[in-house]
Amino acid sequence: MAKKAEKTKKTEAAEWMYEIISNPHVTEKGTRGSEHGQVTFKVPMSATKPQIKQAVETLFEVKVKGVNTLIQKGKTKRFKGHKGFRGDVKKAIVTLEQGQTIDQFNA
Amino acid sequence: MAELADALDLGSSAVRRVGSTPSTRTNLPDYRKEEMTMQVKELKKSGLNHELEVTVTAQDIDKRVDQRLQEVGKTIKMPGFRPGKVPLKLLKQKYGKAIMGEVLEIAVNETSTKALKEKDLKPALQPKIEVKSFDEGKDLTYTMSVEVLPKFDVKEYKGIKLQKLVSKPDDKAVNEALEKIASNNQTTVKVEGKRAAKDGDTTVIHFKGRTADDNFEHPGMEGDDHHLKLGSGMFIPGFEEQLIGKKAGDKVEVKVTFPKNYSKELAGRDAIFDVEIKELREPGEAKIDDDFAKSLGLDSLDALKTAVQEQMQQEYDRQSKMHLKKTLMDRLDELHDFEIPAGMHDMEFNNILGQIEHERAHHVHGEHCDHGDDYSDKVTDKEKDELKDIAGRRVRLGLVLSEIGTKNNIKVSDVELQKAVIAEAQRYPGQERDVFDYFSKNRGALETLRAPLFEQKVVDYILELADVSEKTVSGEELLKALDEDDGEGKEKSKKPAAKKKKA
Repeated sequence: MAKKAEKTKKTEAAEWMYEIISNPHVTEKGTRGSEHGQVTFKVPMSATKPQIKQAVETLFEVKVKGVNTLIQKGKTKRFKGHKGFRGDVKKAIVTLEQGQTIDQFNA
Repeated sequence: MAELADALDLGSSAVRRVGSTPSTRTNLPDYRKEEMTMQVKELKKSGLNHELEVTVTAQDIDKRVDQRLQEVGKTIKMPGFRPGKVPLKLLKQKYGKAIMGEVLEIAVNETSTKALKEKDLKPALQPKIEVKSFDEGKDLTYTMSVEVLPKFDVKEYKGIKLQKLVSKPDDKAVNEALEKIASNNQTTVKVEGKRAAKDGDTTVIHFKGRTADDNFEHPGMEGDDHHLKLGSGMFIPGFEEQLIGKKAGDKVEVKVTFPKNYSKELAGRDAIFDVEIKELREPGEAKIDDDFAKSLGLDSLDALKTAVQEQMQQEYDRQSKMHLKKTLMDRLDELHDFEIPAGMHDMEFNNILGQIEHERAHHVHGEHCDHGDDYSDKVTDKEKDELKDIAGRRVRLGLVLSEIGTKNNIKVSDVELQKAVIAEAQRYPGQERDVFDYFSKNRGALETLRAPLFEQKVVDYILELADVSEKTVSGEELLKALDEDDGEGKEKSKKPAAKKKKA
């Protein structure tokens, strides 16, 4: 019991969490997920699923069911014959427990 | 103040002005035609003043906002979304506030006109609206204070008894006019021998002047062979008088003081003029005969007489018409007595006041008149009271005439308006093009032309029905009758409606 109490105890919001949840990813496709309690964020490449989960839970005070991540490879672009790359982007699709919502755009 | 007494501009009468609020002017998209529900509560009512409180429910407003958002959402571009695919929720977050303002304005406009309709009030001026409370999700309440057009019955104007003064120029008047023309075209005859100059004589002088204190000759103070008619007041006051009694060949030193409103440098300074009278001429006999007529470009004396007579007749006719209109206005004013909206009254009063002040300011600074000092450009309180009465009369007559006009379906057609524009353009020869452009571009200006036309039509309509008796009077009596009505005989002011800015 004591252990469970400790787990539900609020974790302090740490600086790295804000770094993870710095950008909401608001797109047509992203908002489609909102019907299923899914929210999309852009996260740093270094962020891991557990970190994302923890960050979302503490910053928005919601319960997270699961996190899916993907890395979108940057496009190769050419400019005046020179090769160039756009940076890769890591996105995280966070599924919330039923009944939970995030007003992420006001965050 | 003949024209002042006329009714104020009717064509753009207040009712019509209020009618074109933005909401009714624009073509409404379908969804907005849906009526808003509202509650109207009458707070106060005193005389012509009404105060209403209008409440529109929050749901109504919200519905409007959503509809409007959907409308604009079709074209709004947002990163991450194709146009028209942005979810309403997001739109609301981003644009809700702006749309809200827009919707509120429309809501207030729409409901205020509706409320007035519901209460059957005809506003005289634009109602004053004050939003009392509104927040998102709360009902919109606002108060509206409005001054209504007074309800009055148009008194019987059919068969109104009017007297038309008709006048024909008689021989005496024609002769007088002829003599006047003759004296204007008078030739002068050199006086032989020595005789003292008297009033009415013309002196041919050489003059050279200097200011008394510094002996300086200013430009324009010298002249040779100048024909100066004594008593004509052409020169500085005092100058001509000092020449009276002098003979041809005399040398006179004339001492004068420049009037205060003379040109800056010289105003109020003493000056000495050395004048030499070279010649003395007296007015030649004005003969009215065929030769005189010929010198004026007419065949014979008879032709001249008829021309003068015709001209006078026209003038008399015009005056008789004016007098008739004035008496009609007077009668209508007597017949109707009702409270007029204070707002309109004030507006008209300020209008007149502004005009008169403007005219006076113009008058004083525009000319170097001798009466510049005692002629104040401030309107005294007593005059203000008078003007207030006039303004009230104009407003009342305006209301009466417009009521009669609308009841009898008197309208100013576009053709008539076109004619008026052409007439107006002819007043500015050489600029006709500009005048036309001005009117075609400026609907408001066109309306100002419509007003006097409308008034004239209504007046004509009433006159047709009126029982007009004719009375023949002499020309002087006619003029006197007009003058009496003018009362104070101050400067005649044009109606604001008839005024037009130069194109």
